[in-house]
Amino acid sequence: MKANQWMRPVKLLCVMLIAIPLLTGCWDRLEIEERAVVLGVSIDVVREGAEEEESEITHTQGSVPAPRTGLVKVGVQIALPGRIPLGPGEGGGSQGDSSKTVWVIDVVGHSIDDAFMNLQQQISSRLFFGHLRVIVVSEEVARKGLENVNDYFRRNSEVRRMAWMMISKGDALSLMKAAPKLERIPTLYLMSTLDEGIRMGKFPKDYIGIYWSNSSKKGQEGFLPFVERKQEQNVEVMGLAYFKGDRMVGTTKPLEIAGYLGIKGVNPAGYRVFINLEGTRETVMTYVTQRRSIIDIQIKDGRPYFKIGVNLEVNLEEKMNEALFVDNTEIIKAIERQQEQAGEKFYLNIIEKTQEKGSDIFGFGEQLRARRPGYWSSKIKTKENWQRLYKDAAFEVKVTVNVRRIGMKAR
Amino acid sequence: MKEESTRQITVIQTAAILVSTIIGVGVLPLPLFAVRAADSAAPLITLLGMVVAFIGLALVTILGKRFSDKTIILYSEDIIGKWPARLGSVAIIAFFAILTSLTAREFGEVVVTSVLKQTPVEVTVIVMLLLAAISTRNTITTFAYIHNFYFPLLIVPVILIVALSLKNAEVINLQPIWGSELQGILKGTLTIAALFQGSFILSMVIPSMRNPQKAMKASVWGIIIAGGQYVVIVAAAVSVFGAEEIKNLLWPTLELAKATSLPANILERLDAAFLAVWVTAVFTTLLSSYFLTIYAISHLFRLSDHKMFSFFLLPLVFVMAMLPTNIVQMYDIIENVGRIGLFITIGYPGLLLMISIIRKKRGNRNEGKSMDETG
Repeated sequence: MKANQWMRPVKLLCVMLIAIPLLTGCWDRLEIEERAVVLGVSIDVVREGAEEEESEITHTQGSVPAPRTGLVKVGVQIALPGRIPLGPGEGGGSQGDSSKTVWVIDVVGHSIDDAFMNLQQQISSRLFFGHLRVIVVSEEVARKGLENVNDYFRRNSEVRRMAWMMISKGDALSLMKAAPKLERIPTLYLMSTLDEGIRMGKFPKDYIGIYWSNSSKKGQEGFLPFVERKQEQNVEVMGLAYFKGDRMVGTTKPLEIAGYLGIKGVNPAGYRVFINLEGTRETVMTYVTQRRSIIDIQIKDGRPYFKIGVNLEVNLEEKMNEALFVDNTEIIKAIERQQEQAGEKFYLNIIEKTQEKGSDIFGFGEQLRARRPGYWSSKIKTKENWQRLYKDAAFEVKVTVNVRRIGMKAR
Repeated sequence: MKEESTRQITVIQTAAILVSTIIGVGVLPLPLFAVRAADSAAPLITLLGMVVAFIGLALVTILGKRFSDKTIILYSEDIIGKWPARLGSVAIIAFFAILTSLTAREFGEVVVTSVLKQTPVEVTVIVMLLLAAISTRNTITTFAYIHNFYFPLLIVPVILIVALSLKNAEVINLQPIWGSELQGILKGTLTIAALFQGSFILSMVIPSMRNPQKAMKASVWGIIIAGGQYVVIVAAAVSVFGAEEIKNLLWPTLELAKATSLPANILERLDAAFLAVWVTAVFTTLLSSYFLTIYAISHLFRLSDHKMFSFFLLPLVFVMAMLPTNIVQMYDIIENVGRIGLFITIGYPGLLLMISIIRKKRGNRNEGKSMDETG
């Protein structure tokens, strides 16, 4: 009897004791206003002698040798909680100034993490990278090599693979500070410049994750958008910055992005080009709407030989001169032929440029590895070998252009 | 009498147990294991691992059908004699206790690295183990229901992630499908086959099946669904990242979820959603290996009730889980223990089956008849 009396409360107590650890709150609770949401990061080189500026946070002065690539200056753009208007109605008109929505701070460090820790020492809230959208790296840093940058952001579990990394001509920090009128948050503007580029067929999909994958591949090198800040605080996409391993080796012109897209056959297409008709001074402007490419591989004299067939669907968009009528098939044919010839030269030229640097951003090596595995494993095998062999590869480009429409004007 | 009341598990439930047991913590590093072994032939090697695992499961199934009233702990004594069989049973128990602890630890490491960075790993591990321990205090029928309940939750999200990630996929990454370098294929196959070891739970489930003669059907479906899912995950990860990039990623499947977004900006990264589902997958795996361990102990000691062992074992499993000192060492141990475990989950049943055929031992010749009569 007595035992039974005690049994119930004891059992209840046991149940409660077991329940307590399961009912507690979240260990990692971090309120939104307690975190510093980093939207953008810029990475620059540091002028000589900045080492003294650095406070002793992750190491004592002089204990760690300066890295081979030199110190870095890291700028971050932190969203100010409560200041970012969510809806269109909020805040009225005066949103031009980015200093109202974000806070830009820069610090010096030996490495990326060192710089972030120096920064953390200066601000109260915990740095949070889950919403990091854009990483801007200055050309100088990229030419020295991005090993450290890639390593840090790959290792960090908060960073998303859909963020953008871009190379800036000149100072990267200035892009963090820019305040474009179209967006309230500068990094979102940077991001939408490239995202819209993809949608308009002006830029390939090249998120940081894709860049990482491409630069890991044995038969391919990575590339990143090359941007420059313009006068009106806007951003121009200047071309592709292409890499050899982790090191940037060159840039293309903006139009050569179209060349890249054409060779890869990326859709939708969006570039316009001038066509100068043969033997005349007449020029027309055409608009590519659809691209298709076929890459054929042969092995000739022990060297890879790539035959690239590019097919472009084209509309006529503009002409310079009323004397030229586009009202018969001959003239259409002439335009097609002209664009084909110009295109072939143009594509080959880009390939040659990358060949000189040994930077196969198109992934011809990957094609070779995938489709000629026997040749690949007997002759190439490693990334370094392909970087060398890419220079000897032979290319032939065949472009076919079909002009389909001429717009609303009859001639 | 007792058999009648416990023989309630259907074929579908058995298949669900197999699938949700197999799919577990190993999903995350799986593409890495496969790519390390065979580069672009990773999906193929996963398939190979699946075939090896199926051989093991088929042996267990055939044995289970021959001795359809007994678990492996009991019928092994009939086949090879009392003491050698007890040695084998102890090995099985020890192995699955270790497997339980390693699963819990691996789960803890993933959670601490990627989500709850402040939470001590001990807490994550003990909470998960406690959850499993409490759930093992059910009968084997309830155990089957638990698995059956979570089954859809394991299939749908993974298929969703794979389907959505396909827009970033490049077929060229999967070529050449035969791979270019053929070293390490054997090791890789065994490592991947080891991820299927949870399917050994079938040897405990068969005696409780309503119709043990249909066990083979369940094991074929279980392997096809779980293995199919593994192959699909590996193929998706390789086609999105490329073999070389996967070598840089500790948990490629998690990274795949991170790189995948729901259309129309609903969710820009799926890793949080994926992890939530993955916790269930880990739970069911943990539940199975824990259940197997204590169920085997209770049969070894001829006890009718396995419940008392569920908390008795907890401290032991927890301490073992805490033994690896770092994550690199942990994965070394997991790979090695997994491959060694194949002797227990494939070699041992194979040996038993061979001897039982040679000695013409059949457990259920007369019982089988009586069972047919009773219905």
